[in-house]
Amino acid sequence: MFKHIFIYRLKVLMKDKTMLFWTLIFPIALAAFFKLSFGGLVEQGTFRAIDVVVVEETRQEGFMGVMESLSSGDDQLFNMTIEDMDTAKGMLEEEMVTAIITVNETIGMTVNQSGFGQSIVKSVLDQYNNTANAVENILSTNPAAFESIAEDLRSRVTYTVEQPITDAKMDITLNYFYALIAMASLYGSFFGMEEVNNIQANLSVHAARVNMAPVHKLKIFLSSTSASLVIQYSEMLVFLAYLRFILNVDFGSQIGLILLTTFVGSLVGISLGAFVSALFKSGEDVKTGILIGTTMTGAFLSGLMFGDIKYLVQTKMPILALVNPVNVLSDAFYALYFYDDYIRYTQNIAILLSFSFVFCTATYLIIRRRKYASI
Amino acid sequence: MPVFKLCLKIFKKNIPVMSIYFGVFILVSFIMMSNASGAQLGYSDVKTDIAILAEEESVLIDGLKTSLSDVANFIEIGDERSEIQDALYFRRVGYILRIPSGFTAEFLAGDTPTLAKTVVPGSNSNIYIDMNIEQYLNTARLYANAMPDMDLGELTDEVLNDLAQDTNVSMLSGERIYGEQGMMQYYFNYLAYTFMFVLILGISTIMLVFNNLIIKRRNACSPISASKINFQFYLANMFFTLVSWLILVSLSLVFGRKELSNPNTLYFVLNSLIFAITASGISFFIGNLVKGREAINAVANVFTLGTCFISGVFVPQVLLGEGVLRIASFFPTYWYVKANAQIAGISNLSWSNLNGVGNTFLVQIGFAAAFFILAMVVGKRKQMAVEEE
Repeated sequence: MFKHIFIYRLKVLMKDKTMLFWTLIFPIALAAFFKLSFGGLVEQGTFRAIDVVVVEETRQEGFMGVMESLSSGDDQLFNMTIEDMDTAKGMLEEEMVTAIITVNETIGMTVNQSGFGQSIVKSVLDQYNNTANAVENILSTNPAAFESIAEDLRSRVTYTVEQPITDAKMDITLNYFYALIAMASLYGSFFGMEEVNNIQANLSVHAARVNMAPVHKLKIFLSSTSASLVIQYSEMLVFLAYLRFILNVDFGSQIGLILLTTFVGSLVGISLGAFVSALFKSGEDVKTGILIGTTMTGAFLSGLMFGDIKYLVQTKMPILALVNPVNVLSDAFYALYFYDDYIRYTQNIAILLSFSFVFCTATYLIIRRRKYASI
Repeated sequence: MPVFKLCLKIFKKNIPVMSIYFGVFILVSFIMMSNASGAQLGYSDVKTDIAILAEEESVLIDGLKTSLSDVANFIEIGDERSEIQDALYFRRVGYILRIPSGFTAEFLAGDTPTLAKTVVPGSNSNIYIDMNIEQYLNTARLYANAMPDMDLGELTDEVLNDLAQDTNVSMLSGERIYGEQGMMQYYFNYLAYTFMFVLILGISTIMLVFNNLIIKRRNACSPISASKINFQFYLANMFFTLVSWLILVSLSLVFGRKELSNPNTLYFVLNSLIFAITASGISFFIGNLVKGREAINAVANVFTLGTCFISGVFVPQVLLGEGVLRIASFFPTYWYVKANAQIAGISNLSWSNLNGVGNTFLVQIGFAAAFFILAMVVGKRKQMAVEEE
């Protein structure tokens, strides 16, 4: 009997095009849009050599030497050109350069807006000017220090040493994709909803007929829900493969755990749908509305639309982050990718499993032993 | 006007779904508003968010903080690995500096102790903050080595005094307001998403009803002439478009009320009106193509989200790749967003400045015409259909 119901349920589900669209095609399309439009977001805030133009009104060997050394090498700070003032102004106006550096008795700069590039240029000039001040200041009180200063200036010390927290690339777009996977997993709730609608005699004609059959209700429910789970999980695997191999979204290397997380996600999705469907006696439209509402609010709070929201919720209202299944699921992917230990990951999976357990138990308690003399 | 009334009835039925999208528009606008930074006059240093985890206190370290306060905002974060990781990943801070205990003593002894930094590698704030930290410490080293007898407090004062002297920065032209662009542009950009979705949903739902073969046959034998039916039908759709447009434009204007007096405002409104025409053309076209209510939802979602993403409604056009923008230029949303950017960039509304915007307007009108014609061609074919497809 299990096999019979399972196979026919599979066939029915595979023909439901609307369901297929929302649970697979829509996430695939969204992921494609993310990929297309997030290209620049990854690069945002990344340093690129700053284009500057130098107008040399007075020859200052020392300063030009500094500028030249900053404009060459592997980690060059500037792309420097030397022009006269009129050309330089034109270049700045056309936004071909970030700043004009004017070398006179003093060094100054001209910009047409504020920004990181301009501030970095100014820091370099400050550095040059301030060091000159300091040297002058020291020599005026202690002329004998000349040797020590010359030595110090020749061997500038680098005090900061990078202490990376993770080997993983701090790619801010990853969280959007993780939230999207979580959203797609919870769209599996539509399957769960269908399953309950199809077995509770007061919810559909189909269910009324099914209840007449001399088969144990739990058996029907488990076999048809297994079919839903198989479909939902397969769709999620297709989605994952698409993200990984076509869009090149990085998940790290623990394939087994990624597959497990996805499976747990599908389970939570389907059990949530079943729970909502069992809990509310209203029509299908209202239930769909509730599910979409919950899923989208959850997705919003886990940073699907604005990445910062996730961090905000996590730091300001940690409870809200823990009871939001979309957030916990996307956080499991995040933890798997960025953390070397499994504490946070295990915690996330435990929370997801308890969600699923609560939903399943509640659904079971609601739908069991319902008998109708007449509907 | 029975047809007109019928259309309004159908629109009314769709109000709950549409109001969700209006709600989303209001919510997003609020978020954008709270993120907006005001326009500024003249030059100022960028301040980036950093966190300092100090394991010791000393005059030298206090001096470092004072010196950094010109270029950084200090954010408090906890010293847990997960807090550091999350703060950095979500860019709450761009730079985390850890000062080990014993740093000052070693520094003064002439050694070169190190400060541990955790950063987003290769980022602007990494380079920017590094530069300022190194400058402070290297200047302090100059003093410490040249005048070993100097008191630490005095030394710090001297260093801060030297560093306080800023390079002279002049602006290319003094009058203009520089810095962040006005927010009006973004409210109007985002309007494209809600507007397009609501129009497609509303107009195609009506078309679906009128294209139903049985209803079409019933309508054909009514005592109202076909041209009258068509007229009322288009009138109702125009009415619907205008009402949605009015709601969204007034919302945008309310959100951007601080910039209401700018001469650009009128052009933003004009641009959105042109977009309204284009979007209704698209809706007619889609309405003639789709076959069921569920399909409308699917098409409306994918089409609106897709065009908005690649056209720069959600992510600014400057951040999009060239290839993406080239694809986007086949959709009117791209030109609408582009026109908004051009309008925002205009400082005085002289005729030559408006030339570029005018061309972008023309492109949009061209799109509108093309979609209306396409819709008519497809619609005509459907009308000829004698049997249900």
